[in-house]
Amino acid sequence: MPEQILATKLHVPAPRPKAVPRPRLIARLNEGLHHKLTLISAPAGFGKTTLVSEWIAGSRQPAAWLSLDEEDSDPTRFLAYLVAALRSVAANIGEGVSGVPPTESILTALLNEIAAIPQPFIIVLDDYHLIDAKPVEDALAFLLEHLPPRMHLVIATREDPRLPLARLRARGQMAELRAADLRFTPAETTEFLNRMMGLGLAADDIAALETRTEGWIAGLQLAAISMRGHEDASGFIRSFSGSHGFVLDYLVEEVLDQQPENVQTFLLRTSILERLCGPLCDAVLPGSSASGQATLEYLEHANLFIVSLDNERRWYRYHHLFAELLRQRQQRKAASTAELHSLASQWYEDNGLEIDAFHHAAAANDIERAERLIEGKGMPLYFRGAMAPVLHWLESLPAAVLDARPSLWVTYASSLMMSGKPGGVERKLQAAEAALRSAEPDGQTRNLVGHIAAMRALVAASRNEAETMIAQSRRALEYLHPENLAVRTITSLTLGIAHQLQGDRAAAGRAFTEAMDIGQASGNMMITAAAATSLGQIQESENQLHPAAETYRRLLQVVGDPAHMAACEAHHGLARIYYQWNDLDAAERHAQQCARLAQQIECDISVACEVLQARLRLARGDPAGAAALLARAGETARASNFVNQLPHIAAAQVHTLLHQGNPAAAAQVAQSHDIPMSQARVMLARGDPAGALALLEPIRGRMDAKCWHDERLKLMILQALSLQAQGNTDEALRHLGDALALAQPGGFVRIFVDEGPRMASLLAEAATKGIMPDYTARLQTAFEAENPKSEVATDPNQLSRRELEVLRLVAQGLSNQEISERLFVSLSTVKGHNLRIFEKLQVKRRTEAIARARELGLLRQSTRTSS
Amino acid sequence: MIYQIKIKGLLDRQWTDWFGGMTISATEDGDTLLTGPVEDQAALHGLLKKVRDSGMSLVSVGPSESDRGRDEMG
Repeated sequence: MPEQILATKLHVPAPRPKAVPRPRLIARLNEGLHHKLTLISAPAGFGKTTLVSEWIAGSRQPAAWLSLDEEDSDPTRFLAYLVAALRSVAANIGEGVSGVPPTESILTALLNEIAAIPQPFIIVLDDYHLIDAKPVEDALAFLLEHLPPRMHLVIATREDPRLPLARLRARGQMAELRAADLRFTPAETTEFLNRMMGLGLAADDIAALETRTEGWIAGLQLAAISMRGHEDASGFIRSFSGSHGFVLDYLVEEVLDQQPENVQTFLLRTSILERLCGPLCDAVLPGSSASGQATLEYLEHANLFIVSLDNERRWYRYHHLFAELLRQRQQRKAASTAELHSLASQWYEDNGLEIDAFHHAAAANDIERAERLIEGKGMPLYFRGAMAPVLHWLESLPAAVLDARPSLWVTYASSLMMSGKPGGVERKLQAAEAALRSAEPDGQTRNLVGHIAAMRALVAASRNEAETMIAQSRRALEYLHPENLAVRTITSLTLGIAHQLQGDRAAAGRAFTEAMDIGQASGNMMITAAAATSLGQIQESENQLHPAAETYRRLLQVVGDPAHMAACEAHHGLARIYYQWNDLDAAERHAQQCARLAQQIECDISVACEVLQARLRLARGDPAGAAALLARAGETARASNFVNQLPHIAAAQVHTLLHQGNPAAAAQVAQSHDIPMSQARVMLARGDPAGALALLEPIRGRMDAKCWHDERLKLMILQALSLQAQGNTDEALRHLGDALALAQPGGFVRIFVDEGPRMASLLAEAATKGIMPDYTARLQTAFEAENPKSEVATDPNQLSRRELEVLRLVAQGLSNQEISERLFVSLSTVKGHNLRIFEKLQVKRRTEAIARARELGLLRQSTRTSS
Repeated sequence: MIYQIKIKGLLDRQWTDWFGGMTISATEDGDTLLTGPVEDQAALHGLLKKVRDSGMSLVSVGPSESDRGRDEMG
């Protein structure tokens, strides 16, 4: 899912101007660079972030920063942000790693890229305690285990992370700073209070404060601020030391009381915000005279509670500790928390930040607003990277709330489905239907009924139950509101898949086209991509190569980077098509793109891609290379249990072995899989055309019945070749003619060329009979381009093109004079060619040359002269 | 199940809402006890997080003395 990267999370905090220098800690951090990990684990208010940002500012090493929040517990999001952070150190790292989960193979690829970064660098993960998910912790443990030597990781957290710390400690791979290390020493306290804050306190006053706060920096800071407003500092210290209240509670109250009324209101009302900017604060403080921006800058200047999130004075947040306390106070003082959240939600919505708007709507317990935001304008939030918070919220709602709004039940079912948990969906749908029984039978209810049917179709899709899919999809399309494009798209897609399952390619094509068109119109890229992929494959299977290529290209345009699977399929499809069109370079390019993307997905398309690349090698005259690739593909397929790919690998292997002149081995491979056409091909190669025809006949019947055009075409070609081998040239040509007619609109080339010399001679026959002359000529040209590389490859004295031409004319019975006229060269040139030809073929006479050439298969088998 | 959470220092009674209605009482040695029903483990951990995030120091957690031996909780 596309993820917008918030720059503020990557912002490296600037060092604070009034920070106490802590050289002993900086020294420890520098020493820590020798280790893999520096762990800074201490509760809030110990100056962790301040220290690290201070250290980084003074360090010579480049540093990346990632401020974590709860949502980064989603492993895909975590990885996306990790890569974004790394990009500040190495510009193009992790290309294509967007919207993918941190599987081991992806992490390994990323680690390899990181290892290539030439200089040592630091990456800081701040607020790691907010992560609470095993997949992220596992990913991080994996990274740590294989950390490249020049990468140093710093984790700042309020609690020890679930990483193998004991092991890291034992191996001396970790440096640690804990609360005991981070507390202000008496010397630092003095420095802070007297020099930085200019308080001029006596030694025993300082000691009293030190004792009371135990060197806790947050406490000392607040105490200092508080004392600046007090006339009698010593008096304050005495009463403070004498009290036993919770330190911060006491101090925050003090400091707050000293602030002007409007600042107090500001602090309390904005405490509900995760992050603040001027206009947002204004929205939450309607009727306030002071500008939000001015107040924020005042707070920053006074060093009161606030942290800057960027370099532009635009976004801030409260220091976590104070935010908690402010919130607590705010809740106590007013029942208007919900109102504040609503105001915030409205501002976020007005500014196009719908996920934040949703969070606040949920916090305001404003069900209607939250639901509306989830739906988006036809493109639900859970498609846009907010799956977890949406589900979380829905799970928290009591059943009564959901019953009062049946559409919520449907949304719940929908998000469960999209998060890959089809199991709980039916129950939610039934709850929705129950709740709908008492609803008005109006357009909205009809739409919901349609939506429920659409969901049922989807659940059936996850089980490949074609009939249910069709029935429910049809019902859905009948009841859904005509403007409900989002659900209509996905329903059309489901319908298409159902038709495909039943083998009705035409109906599937229609459904997919519809899904694609609506999908694009409604901006639903995921569905558009899925529909386009399926449509392209259907068009290919109907031999409509040009429309298929167009569909794949459109798909690539629509999809861009994140949706890997679809891009993968599109490149694979284009590679297949260009291969058929004999544009091997283009095919190679697309195959490589597919392979690159497939690496990150771990699905069988990577194997399919390898098979295609093997065929490319074969086409370029490298059967050994092809065999090697296929062997590797076979290993991968068996290891990963991609059973669907095994027949395709076998078919390609048969082809390669036959090409290498090893029909026995080819026969073995063909026998061990259910690949009747390859078996027929082997029979043909071993001189048993009758057997091949017998094998092919019943299959032909099946294919005709189901209109499987692509398979039928291949089969017709094999039948033609078998008939030719039997000497039944007329029948052979009839089949070939039919095949040519079918293949011509799509521009197929390789389907013929791959069949080798037999096809070449059959085509020559067809040419003389005038069957589809333009197409046949094109195919013959393609053959000629191939031939020089093939059978004569083993002969060190290869004939050049020119020499071959001459030889062919010789074989046709032309005299040297006639040849020189035909080729527009001098007689002596022709004689010269002849000499070299005789040398290379090791013969002395024309007749011998012709015979030898025939033996080597250099001449077409037709003995008829052609003009 | 009734739980007792002891934190260091004295906490104003006004914090009771923040801690989901737990009763706030002071101990003799200047600490604070939060006492009240906690629905399940998840709720307990949520409470502990609140204690941590508010900057308080946790001293001890356990079922209420008077309640021990009564209901079992998963």
